[in-house]
Amino acid sequence: MTTDLIRRRTAPRHLVSSIIYHCVMLLFAAIFLLPFYWMVISAFKSNIEIFSQPIAWFPDPIRWENVSALFARTDFPFLRQFANSVFYAGAVAFGTCFSCALAAYSFACLRWRGRNLVFAFTICALLIPPIVTFLPTYIGWSRLGLNGTYWPLILPSFFGDAFYIFMLRQFFLSVPRELMDAARLDGASEFRIWWQIVLPQVRVALVIVALFAIVYTWNEFFGPLIYLKTREDFPLSVGLFTFRSQRAVEWSISMMGATFTAVPMVVLFLFTQRFFQQGLATKGLK
Amino acid sequence: MSSVILTGVRKQFGSIEVIKGIDLTIEDKELVVFVGPSGCGKSTLLRMIAGLEDVDYGSIEIAGQDVTERAPAARGVAMVFQNYALYPHMSAYDNLAYGLRRAKVASTEVDRRVRDAARLLQITDLLDRLPKAMSGGQRQRVAIGRAIVRKPEVFLFDEPLSNLDASLRVEMRSQIARLHRELQTTMIFVTHDQVEAMTLADRIIVLKGGRIEQVGTPRDIYHHPANLFVAGFIGSPTMNLFPAKVISQDGRQVALHLDSGPRVVVSGVAGSAAAGTNVTLGLRPEKLQVARAVDGVDKIQGEVTLAEHLGGETILHLSGPHGPMIVKCDEDFDQMPGLKVDVTLDMTGANLFDAEGQAIC
Repeated sequence: MTTDLIRRRTAPRHLVSSIIYHCVMLLFAAIFLLPFYWMVISAFKSNIEIFSQPIAWFPDPIRWENVSALFARTDFPFLRQFANSVFYAGAVAFGTCFSCALAAYSFACLRWRGRNLVFAFTICALLIPPIVTFLPTYIGWSRLGLNGTYWPLILPSFFGDAFYIFMLRQFFLSVPRELMDAARLDGASEFRIWWQIVLPQVRVALVIVALFAIVYTWNEFFGPLIYLKTREDFPLSVGLFTFRSQRAVEWSISMMGATFTAVPMVVLFLFTQRFFQQGLATKGLK
Repeated sequence: MSSVILTGVRKQFGSIEVIKGIDLTIEDKELVVFVGPSGCGKSTLLRMIAGLEDVDYGSIEIAGQDVTERAPAARGVAMVFQNYALYPHMSAYDNLAYGLRRAKVASTEVDRRVRDAARLLQITDLLDRLPKAMSGGQRQRVAIGRAIVRKPEVFLFDEPLSNLDASLRVEMRSQIARLHRELQTTMIFVTHDQVEAMTLADRIIVLKGGRIEQVGTPRDIYHHPANLFVAGFIGSPTMNLFPAKVISQDGRQVALHLDSGPRVVVSGVAGSAAAGTNVTLGLRPEKLQVARAVDGVDKIQGEVTLAEHLGGETILHLSGPHGPMIVKCDEDFDQMPGLKVDVTLDMTGANLFDAEGQAIC
């Protein structure tokens, strides 16, 4: 009896259901990881080994020379295009965060006549498929003589994006109004309140927006393909495609390029997943 | 001279008028408390004085200057908020220094003022801490410190003690009273807690529905409420109100017949009360005495519904013939719910209200 009382209680274990649950999850994880794994092992094989039968699930030997081959190609300026992608994604992320955070602050924290109507119009922009506005936008940029540059790709991000504005607005609404009032009494301007008081409270949301913008831009294909003209200007998304379409048999170099294109996004996510979880948890509690 | 003068101040949110014309003068170095039920406009009025809400009509003067159109920071006011409103990502020191830095005060002066305020509020040890590493009371002290360092003409407190537990509230209340004595500055304090209002205020302003119901010292308002609303709102437990009919008036004395039975005489009636008119007699709970039921004059039968033993005294809730009654009695006067008692009325200091609810005594 005494032994029963002093024994620590443990939660009932449902061993069988737990095993089944984990097996199913592992199966799904394997299905999702398979293409990624295939890409990585193909990057370290020769072109012939990639399609050899039976399928080799691990490269033998590991062809490290494929890495140097990728960077040595003159018809695929990988490093240049990688730098282009970093610049493109960074600039768009910065522009998106800056403009959307300003707009969201205005919609959530400032009182002005017609605020809700303008916000409703902003949200309506989500309903317009981007392809509908693509041609007039293209003609507009052409007339400005900016085709062939990154301006048409980057500049629009400095004018806000309806989805990110909506998302940030929800976070801004959770910042206590008294914080802004206190800053106003302390003599801070509205811009300073936004920059010094409110933005630090929503940094999780900003990281998420920046991450979304980076991932989206990193993978963006259509815009750069239409607006950019030369191989040296292409970001990796377009560079990889043009290389593969011109050198269809060189699968291993393509896969190496694809691996190096995907890795930064994976690393970025690993470093920022904490913010994702925080952001989701925060919004879940509201 | 840090007086505050409100003239014809009105405020609308959409089509709803929340402040319906306030004329009020708050003297230099006075501690005034705005008190009233939720939605009466007390916080809105405070925010209008602070400049955080626009004034639709009327004007606000602080220290002889019309500040109606001025930005909050240019009004010479500092505010302490209910939820402290400390900048969460800044240390207590930076919270205190932020306003001074915005005003481009020299860094040595900033440091001196921050440390002086910290000493005054005994928060020197907390200066390096972030708000999340402080207790509610410590945060509130830092919030008060942030107001003090700016050396404002007027301090504004928006229900600053509501988030604190009961004992801390008492401690902070006495600290605010001490600060008022030491700083000798005009203070406006908003609360819905009448104990805070009664203990802190030089004068209380009772608000209801965006209008001032009464202005007066705590003693005045307690003993001479201007109308039934103030009588019912101020005082804890609340005043007992007995519907009655006037029998006769003899000079300043009015004889009444309470709907619940006995006849009583109220002295010191200022207005006239014609025989037969309906009035309301108001008596504080301490003016009622209970005894085990014995026949006699001036007594109302009641039944104990609840006895709240507070240690030093007991609050009895009774159901009477006209409705509920509340009586304060000694702790040793043991009463059990369900017991029938006689309630005797002590008519000294009784309040009388006419049919419109305005005080006539």
